[in-house]
Amino acid sequence: MSAAHGSTAGDMRGHRWGALRREWIKLLYQRRSYLIWGGAFVIPFLIALALYLAGSDPHGGEGPLFFERITANGMFVTLASLSALIPFLLPMAAAMVAGYMIAGEAELGTLRIVLLRPTRRGAFVLAKWTMAMVYLAVGFAVMIAGGLLFGGIFFGLHPMITLSGSTVGVWHGLGLILLSCLYALAAMSCIVSMALLFSTLTDSSLTALIATIVIYIVITVLIQFSYFDWLRPWVFPQYLLEFTNFFRDPIYWRPILKGLGVFALWSGVLTFAAYLVFRRKDVLS
Amino acid sequence: MTPDVAEAQNQSGPEGARPGQQSCGGRAPILTTHALTKQFGSLRAVDGLDMEVCKGDIFGFLGPNGAGKTTVIRLVLGLIHPSSGYAEVCGHRVPGQLQGALRHVGGFVDDPTFYPLMSARRNLRMLGSMTGPVSEERIDEVLEIVALADRSEDRVGGFSHGMKQRLGIAQALLHSPELIVLDEPTSGLDPRGMKDVRELIRDLGAAGTTVFLSSHLLHEVEQVCTRAVILTKGRVVVQGPVSELRPQNDAIKVLTGDQGRAAGVLRGQFGAAGVVEDEGFLVVKADEEAVPEMVRRLVADGVEVRAVVPASEQGLEDFFLELTGTDAAGEPARGKKRAGLARLLPGGRR
Repeated sequence: MSAAHGSTAGDMRGHRWGALRREWIKLLYQRRSYLIWGGAFVIPFLIALALYLAGSDPHGGEGPLFFERITANGMFVTLASLSALIPFLLPMAAAMVAGYMIAGEAELGTLRIVLLRPTRRGAFVLAKWTMAMVYLAVGFAVMIAGGLLFGGIFFGLHPMITLSGSTVGVWHGLGLILLSCLYALAAMSCIVSMALLFSTLTDSSLTALIATIVIYIVITVLIQFSYFDWLRPWVFPQYLLEFTNFFRDPIYWRPILKGLGVFALWSGVLTFAAYLVFRRKDVLS
Repeated sequence: MTPDVAEAQNQSGPEGARPGQQSCGGRAPILTTHALTKQFGSLRAVDGLDMEVCKGDIFGFLGPNGAGKTTVIRLVLGLIHPSSGYAEVCGHRVPGQLQGALRHVGGFVDDPTFYPLMSARRNLRMLGSMTGPVSEERIDEVLEIVALADRSEDRVGGFSHGMKQRLGIAQALLHSPELIVLDEPTSGLDPRGMKDVRELIRDLGAAGTTVFLSSHLLHEVEQVCTRAVILTKGRVVVQGPVSELRPQNDAIKVLTGDQGRAAGVLRGQFGAAGVVEDEGFLVVKADEEAVPEMVRRLVADGVEVRAVVPASEQGLEDFFLELTGTDAAGEPARGKKRAGLARLLPGGRR
């Protein structure tokens, strides 16, 4: 019977997609997934509602990025939500999801039963990383949907005025919002990779989460001091808000591409480290 | 036949003789370990282990707590990496060709664990798909085998320990593997559950599946297994057919309606020194072959025979205690009989 499960090329292709599908199903069977996605939907609502009830920007233009523009145009609700979430809550969610990916399975005890199946550990790590990213992408999609829905309901969706003062149509604006979210997703890949690395080093998802957040906070705090100016070009938190450059006319690509390069470097190195650790990891949980 | 005694391997260095390697006779080995060693810091959990499991065996894997049983299983199934040595599973070297090996193996290590919010069926579908396509009919079949068919749509989080054990066996059976590795599969089961699992293991063996059964329940190994290995401190102490691990009885207890008269008859047959009284019984120094003639003589002399039982109750458990030198709690095993040991170990080593 087992011979019937020999690896033809078709089987192997199916196997790869199967690994992603299994990881996706696992995410769907976790309650916390829906909590975070629910949060991504509710936050734009709360922002829009608060500003609607206030009648105008409560900070008088001094609040978080894009907040002052919401009351004139609901298109900015998503961007305001992104600006509000990207410094801490998004990294927290990314670290939680990725930190759970391997350490959580070790904690639950399912890691040892899963690894008794003919799964390559490298493919396993890659599937975990990919699904953490897909999970976040769904979160972003939910946030965009929530932002547009509630922005539209409370303030209407209108052509956007860019940071340079020019006006772009609703669809163009929507494209820029999508690009901003993709950029933020790329930024979160660094957090995902770091949390995944810690997830391979410990059998506690909470430890992986805390270790990731602590390192992220330490880096963020360090680059606030001029003494560490030399560090700034090399650390990913420095580039988190560069998505705002999509809203310049013309788009200011240089900092965006630099940010993407740094994200790719951090993410690549950390994911490879996670693979190296997990490849030789003794599963004792 | 003399069981293979692997102690010699531990004294002859890494390239030393592996007495267990010739034990399969005409059958092919399905799982072998070659000087398998695992070091955790200063602790050598598995120490140059050479062991052989033959196709069709129901192979008992015995040892006291901390002997290294689970570590060996983890090594063989690639969950941990050996410090040196290797295993061969279904013709594939582990860890080098682990994926190939795992295609032919099913099982679990420690307690089987599942995704608690998924149903039993969903768990099986998920785990099964990692080895290859698995049909719903096959899932139904294995759930039927382990008597969980009526709970197939229930969340595993609500299952009892015993049900999870049975589901663990079900997932091990999904792809009808050649080798099934079960780590204490009856642990936590009620007597009925234990009986069912043992019957299932026997059925698997009868169907030609090789079963590697780790257990601390010695009577379970005696009941179910055809061959066994006893492990202590990461080393194989002895391996061989279970029937030969149990020392032979060399005395018989007799209970009659008239013990005084019976003693006279038996002393006439076996000599005065051959018959002693012990707690109401007459203990006769004789083997089982002498029983028919003994009973015939007693009956012929008008003595009512009420019971004839083996005097020695030494089974695998006593033998195990002798070999490992400890009981389950780690206390030294004192004053145990050594008759079986002397027979089995080379040169009467004790």
